[in-house]
Amino acid sequence: MRQVALVGFVALASAIASYYLTNEFGWFGAANAAVALVALVVAAASGARQLGRIGGAASHRVVGRGLLIILGSVVMAVGMERAAAYSKLQFDWTFERAFELAPATVKALRELPGEATATLYREAGDPRIRRTRLLLERMAEEGNLRLRERSLAEHPEDAGRFEVGSSNTVVIVLGDRFETVGRPTEGSLYEALYRLQSAEGGQVTVLRGEGEGDLSRTDDGGYAGLSAALATEGYDLRSVVSASMDEVPVTTDVLLVVGARRPLRAQSLAAIRRYLDAGGSLVALLEPGAESGMEALLAEWGIESPEGVVIDPARDSSWASVAGLDPVAYHYWDHPIAQGLNRNRMTFFSGARSFRLRRPRPEDEVSKVVETTRFAWIETDPTALEQRSGHFERDDHPADFQPLVVCGRYPRNGRETRIVAFGDADFASNQNLRSLYNLDLLINAVHWAAENEPMITLRPKNRPTPVQFPIPLTNTLQTLYGVGLLVPELLLIVSGALWLRRRSG
Amino acid sequence: MTELRALVRKEFACLFGSPTAYLTLTMIALVTALIFFDHLRIYNQILFLYSTTTMGGFDTGAIPDHINLWDRVFFPVMETLGLTLIGTIPLITMRVFAEEHARGTDELLISTHLTPSLVVLGKFLVTFLFVALVMIVSFLYPATAIEQGGLGVEHLAAVFVGLTLHGFAIAAIGLACSAYTSSQLIAAVSGWAVAFTLWDFSWANAFVSERTARFLEAIALHPRYGSFAEGIVDLDNIFYFVGIALVAMAIARFAFDLRRVGS
Amino acid sequence: MNAQGQPGSDAGTAAGVGIEARDLTRRFGPHVALDRLSLQVPPNETFGLMGANGAGKTTFIRLVTGYLLPSEGSVTVGGFSPAANPREVKARLGYVMETSRLYPELRVQGFLRFMAGARGLSGGAVSASVDRVIEQFQLADVAKRLIGNLSKGFEQRVSLAQAFLHDPPLVIVDEPTGGLDPVQRGDVRAVLHELQGDRTVLLCTHDMDEARALTSNVAILNDGRLVAHGTTHDVLDRGDPLALFRPHGETAA
Repeated sequence: MRQVALVGFVALASAIASYYLTNEFGWFGAANAAVALVALVVAAASGARQLGRIGGAASHRVVGRGLLIILGSVVMAVGMERAAAYSKLQFDWTFERAFELAPATVKALRELPGEATATLYREAGDPRIRRTRLLLERMAEEGNLRLRERSLAEHPEDAGRFEVGSSNTVVIVLGDRFETVGRPTEGSLYEALYRLQSAEGGQVTVLRGEGEGDLSRTDDGGYAGLSAALATEGYDLRSVVSASMDEVPVTTDVLLVVGARRPLRAQSLAAIRRYLDAGGSLVALLEPGAESGMEALLAEWGIESPEGVVIDPARDSSWASVAGLDPVAYHYWDHPIAQGLNRNRMTFFSGARSFRLRRPRPEDEVSKVVETTRFAWIETDPTALEQRSGHFERDDHPADFQPLVVCGRYPRNGRETRIVAFGDADFASNQNLRSLYNLDLLINAVHWAAENEPMITLRPKNRPTPVQFPIPLTNTLQTLYGVGLLVPELLLIVSGALWLRRRSG
Repeated sequence: MTELRALVRKEFACLFGSPTAYLTLTMIALVTALIFFDHLRIYNQILFLYSTTTMGGFDTGAIPDHINLWDRVFFPVMETLGLTLIGTIPLITMRVFAEEHARGTDELLISTHLTPSLVVLGKFLVTFLFVALVMIVSFLYPATAIEQGGLGVEHLAAVFVGLTLHGFAIAAIGLACSAYTSSQLIAAVSGWAVAFTLWDFSWANAFVSERTARFLEAIALHPRYGSFAEGIVDLDNIFYFVGIALVAMAIARFAFDLRRVGS
Repeated sequence: MNAQGQPGSDAGTAAGVGIEARDLTRRFGPHVALDRLSLQVPPNETFGLMGANGAGKTTFIRLVTGYLLPSEGSVTVGGFSPAANPREVKARLGYVMETSRLYPELRVQGFLRFMAGARGLSGGAVSASVDRVIEQFQLADVAKRLIGNLSKGFEQRVSLAQAFLHDPPLVIVDEPTGGLDPVQRGDVRAVLHELQGDRTVLLCTHDMDEARALTSNVAILNDGRLVAHGTTHDVLDRGDPLALFRPHGETAA
């Protein structure tokens, strides 16, 4: 029986080995599989027959107990594994916590109106599939998301239907709509889910014409990223030339002014005033050194922005040309706009102006949202922004927390006017929008201004680019010699010495 | 407990009293280091090839995302190591029970206060500790080299945990096979065959229903091991490997019962 | 205690323990290795169990130690059943196997310390017992040597020594002089003679001279059956004892 079992095991291993080597079950694999099946069944039957021949109550008890122990261990093993799977307890030890879903992703998954299907298209040997699969599995745990995998080669019809161009593409289908994600990360999958659920955020009217940020530009200084982000959140963007604007469009839910650098025309400012008086919402991004008229308008609403630029030496980014000019802020006030933000979720400002707040009317609420450390001050030297490098002394400027983002709520004519002001327009540029938690702060500000508080959340961060630098050969060789080869060498010496010692008794 | 302690000490003395343990450690460490170095060398060559032909350098997005240290070096090595362990660990486990049975010293053990359960527990424990040592030794070089490349310590720890648990599972399978024979050859071959079969059932997908395929995937080693390589430590995967060890221990213990009643 | 672990007829006393087998049967497939063997090994004496190769001696011993379970019948050691009360049986039992089955990669002292621990001894008791048997069996010169490098004679002494670590009231010795030269055989017999004392020794042998020298009573197995049982002198010195060893030879004592 043992020889038969040996033949069976060898044939089984050979059959599987042939599959792994050739990726198919050829005649060799099939023949070995058949031999294995026959041999192992014969060996098992022979063993069972021998077992049936055992005699004596004591023997039966012992065998029965042994089999019960095996059964019990299987039950325990399966039970433990299932209980653990049910608990969904998981530790993400990746460097960037790649598999901990952002609150926004979890929210989007839990709010799926029906069952969505995510199909991962793959080609054999694609190393990215494993990671994407893990990510999708993680997402499926949070919402009504069914997972499938399909081979691109076996489903060529899907390539045209869903515009699937390459392996590691995910197609999410919800009802009769679908979204194709060519480079699946948590962020891109989240955006796809969001688009599928077609949340109606409202209309955002964006002013242009006076040096405001261009939402169509895709270079570092452009604001195309902001445009895409707002669209993802369900907002319909409409661009208006301020010079020709007599009235803010009535369909506007939020008026967005992104860093106007030239003075707005009086009639434009008047239109904005009327809009706000009637209970409109405004999100304004200012720039230090610019006087567009928005500053004076905001001052009418209790949001004054003194001249100068904020310098925060305690918390500046490492790439600031002037020390403290690009503060990284982590002081947040308790406000829906800053929901979820804390010391570990910072926001980045690149040359910002600060604010002073007052209440125009007793019933108005004007508050800070984000501020610097207490070591910051407002530098009024106009050369601060133009210097390439250097260091500014505080001198007589008082050091204090400097608000960088503020907001206000104003009951007006039976409605509520909402204003959010950012002291830095570059905050939302393509270069900076995806830095740290800038995107979340800005989009949440728009949601708050549009009175879409339920949509306020923290969005998934895109995975950093994987390491694509070569490890220098010298380093590699040194490590190989020092660890990779030295350890086996020492082990060989030890084993040789031991063998010689054994021989001598 | 006294008996178990005595057995564990004896097993360690037997294991490390022979050059075989050191030779096994040496072989696995060397193979791992060479495989890793080879992958690293090829990865560097690919990078240079891309950077020179596209004239983009390393930092300009000219290189596809999937050409990176993780996907081109670390994970393929871990995959290879997973299979290498299937090939090498049964060589460690083949003698554990089979040699005792061939020598007849199992009868001597059972004549003492050592029960079959204690014998199985003691031998499994020592083998697992040896496998952990094998993992430490073979993981040193890849971990050091990759740490230079920026993969975090926690992620490396996750991979190490996965590798070690995977090693434990293969060792458990090998030990269970060793318990049923006095021939080390049969023990090794059957250990290979069972572990290899359990590694991945994707070959069966074409022949079975989707439900069966999902079940087979749930009991296969490879998918469970793979998530550790990604830095994810799932409790259910940990219990999967623990479960394999438990069941293998019960099966190994049953060999003693069969011998007692054997016809 | 009987085979069910309840108080019953006891074949043991405070100093030595006895063995009692009733209709003990063991089959290996169609082959009957022991066929309804009923035998009593009295306590406090050296009892010889004899028979040709394959007569069933080792099978009987394995049933006594609990390594095998009977197909039918029962066996008790000092009133305890090896199946129901294995720990009680093993605490009273020392076993020297047919061929020295030791661990060649261990040193003599290390092996003895392991066996002492495996028999439940701990702490100072381990050292005391190991030192005692090393002296008793004159193993001092080889205590630090690897077992694999010992001569056959010393190996057998080590095998004997491990059986006496816990000073058991019953010692089973299976073919202790097999493969030894005459001088070594004499040494082993001398050791066995010294250690008889007030304990029970079950000596399995097919050497009649050895049985005559060491045992007071013998039983002869042939083809799994008891074919002779009585004093050594009565069984081996009268008639044709060799016939008892031949297949199908039966003589009532």
